[in-house]
Amino acid sequence: MFRIFRSSLIDFTGIILFGLAIFLITSSESLRDAINLPTSVYNMNTIFLSILIEALPFVLIGVVIAGVIQIFITEDHIKRWIPKNKLMAIIMSCVVGAFFPACECGIVPIVRRLVAKGVPIYAGIGFLLTGPLINPIVILSTYMAFGNDLKIALSRMIIGFFVAILIAFVISLLFKSNQLKVGLTNSSCGHTHSTPTESITRKIANVLVHSVDEFFDMGKYLIIGALLAAFVQTYISTGALAATGNGEVASSIALMMGLAYILSLCSEADAFIAASFSNVFPTASILAFLVYGPMIDLKNTMMMLSVFKARFVVTFVFIVTVIVFGTFIIVQGLY
Amino acid sequence: MRFHMQQAFRAIILLLFAIYIIKLHYTGDILKLINPKYDVISQLGVIILLVLFVAQLQRVWSAKSEDHDDDHADHNHDHGYSSMNIKKLVSYSIVVFPLLTGFLLPPSTLNASIAEKKGAMMSITNSALNNKKEEEELAAEVESSQPEINLPDDQTQGELENPPENDLLSDDNPPDPNLDSNTYSQEEFRQMAQDLEKQSTVHMDDSVYTLNMDIISMNLEKYEGKEIVLNGFVYKEEGLKDNQFVLARFIITHCVADAGVTGFLSELDEAVDLQEDTWLEAKGTIAIQEYNGVDLPMIKITEWKKIEELEQPYIYPHGIMIR
Repeated sequence: MFRIFRSSLIDFTGIILFGLAIFLITSSESLRDAINLPTSVYNMNTIFLSILIEALPFVLIGVVIAGVIQIFITEDHIKRWIPKNKLMAIIMSCVVGAFFPACECGIVPIVRRLVAKGVPIYAGIGFLLTGPLINPIVILSTYMAFGNDLKIALSRMIIGFFVAILIAFVISLLFKSNQLKVGLTNSSCGHTHSTPTESITRKIANVLVHSVDEFFDMGKYLIIGALLAAFVQTYISTGALAATGNGEVASSIALMMGLAYILSLCSEADAFIAASFSNVFPTASILAFLVYGPMIDLKNTMMMLSVFKARFVVTFVFIVTVIVFGTFIIVQGLY
Repeated sequence: MRFHMQQAFRAIILLLFAIYIIKLHYTGDILKLINPKYDVISQLGVIILLVLFVAQLQRVWSAKSEDHDDDHADHNHDHGYSSMNIKKLVSYSIVVFPLLTGFLLPPSTLNASIAEKKGAMMSITNSALNNKKEEEELAAEVESSQPEINLPDDQTQGELENPPENDLLSDDNPPDPNLDSNTYSQEEFRQMAQDLEKQSTVHMDDSVYTLNMDIISMNLEKYEGKEIVLNGFVYKEEGLKDNQFVLARFIITHCVADAGVTGFLSELDEAVDLQEDTWLEAKGTIAIQEYNGVDLPMIKITEWKKIEELEQPYIYPHGIMIR
C-alpha cells in the first residue's frame, strides 16, 4: 500500500516537474526578444554552449562509467590488478590509457573514481594523460590534418607516451597519498551501497544515483572552464598572439603551449588548429601544442580542481608544463 | 514522507538540459554548435540525461525511516540532502547558468570579428603552403616509384570494368555524399582530382568544399583561368587592397570552438561598398595572386548576388583514409 502510494507520488512529481520545465521554457521565449546585448556576447555565448553541448555526452558517459566502477569494482580487484612495482604500475596505466578511447572531459570522473577505489595516484595520472592523447581517432585526425603525413601523428603518440610516463614517475616521487579532496575518498562516503547481497536492480539504481551526484559535482567546473575558454576565444586574438612569435624555437614552443592551454580544444579536433600554424612555427612547437593540449588545458584544470586538492593540481600543471617544454627543447633538433 | 526540495531541483535541471538539447536538434540550431557527425552521441547524451532524471525522481520523496542525513562536516561529495547554504547556492547557479543563456539568447553564427581573432589570412596562406608541400612530396613519391605512375589511368578504365572485390564493397556501403561522412580513400581523392580538372566550372558545394580547395591549391597552375562558383561571407583584413576581400567560410571539426577559417581571396570593384558578414553567391575566374610571398588562388568575381545566411553556415573537413 505504502509502496504504491510512493511510486504514484513519484510519477506525479515527474509530471509536475515536466510541466514546470515547459512553463519555464515558454516564458523564456517571450523574454528572448526583450534582451539586447552586443554581438560579441552572443558569439561568446555560442562558443560557450557549443563547448558544453559537445562535452556533455562525453562527460555523461564518463560519469556513468565512474558509477559502474563505484558499484561493481572493489578495492580488492584493484589491489590484484595493479602491479606492486611502481614503474610497472605507471607503464601499465599509460598503456591502458592508450587503449582506452576517452576524451579529456570524460576521463576525469573515471580517474577520480579509480583513485578513490585505491589506484595509486601516479597510475591514475598515467591513465589520465594517455587516455585522451593516444587513441585511434586522435591518430587519424592528426594524420589527416597534417596533409596525410604520418610523421607528425606518430611523433605525437610516441613522444606523448614517454612524456606521460615521465610525468607519472615524477608524481610518484612527490606524492604518496591519493590527493583527492577531503571527503572524496571512498570510506567517507557514508552509506553502504555495495554489499554483494544487493539485487542487481538496486545496484543499477545506485549507479545512476551516483552518476547524478557526480554530474553535479563535475558539471559546475566544466561550465566554468567552458566559459573561460569561450571568453578567451571571443576577446583574445590568437592570430595576433601568433604574430608575436619571433621565430626562436624556445619562445615559439612556449607560445604554442600557452595557446593549447587557453584554447582548451578536444584532442580529436586540435590537430586541425595546429596545422593552421604549421608554417608560422617550427615543427617542435606544433608538436608541443599537440602533446600539451590533451594533457592539460584551462577547461581540464577546472575539472581537476573538482577532484583533487588545489595544491596537487597546481603542482601537476607545473610538472606537466616543465616536462613537456623540456622534452621539446631537447628533441627540437630532430625536426 | 518527506519532500526534498534540492533533489527536485536537481531533477528539473537534468530535465531542462535534456529538453534544451532536444530543442536544439528539433530546431536545427544544433548545426550552429556542433558538427552533425556528433549528432548521435549528442542524442545518446539526451537519453542518459533522461535516465538520470528518472533515477533522480526516486529521491525527491523519502520515507521518514530512510531519511538520509549526510551533514557530516568532511563530506564534500554532495548528495543533495544537506541543507542549503551559500556555497551550494553558488554551485547551483553555475549549473543553471548555461540553461539560462541557452534558452534566453539565440545562438549566433560566427562572424568576421571571430575570423579576425583567428587570423584568417594567416590560416589561408598556411593551408595553401601545406597543400603545395604535400603536392611536391606526392610528385616526388610518384617519380621515385615509376610503376605507380600509370595507376590512375589504368584505374579509370578498370573502374568501369568493375573489379569484383570493389563491387562487393560498394554494394555494402554505397558511396555516401553526405556532408558528415565525407571520407575518401586516396584512390578516390585522385579520381576526384581528375574529374574536377575535366569540368569547365568548379562548383564549391559544401560537401566538397575542403576537398576542392585542396585540389585547387595543390595544382594551382592547372586551375588558373577556370570558372568557379561559390558562396561565403565577406571578410576584410588589414593588408588587403580596397577592391579585395576574402569570401570566407568556417570549418568545424567538433564544435564552433575549434572553428577554422577557409575561403578564397577575391577581387571585385564594388568591394568597398560590401559590408563585412554579407553573404554572397559569386561566380568568377581563378587567378594566381601572391600574398606575403605565397601564391594563392584569387577569384576575379564577374557575377555576384547577396544571399541570406545559409541554413547550415559551416562546412566540415573531409578526411582521406590512410589506405
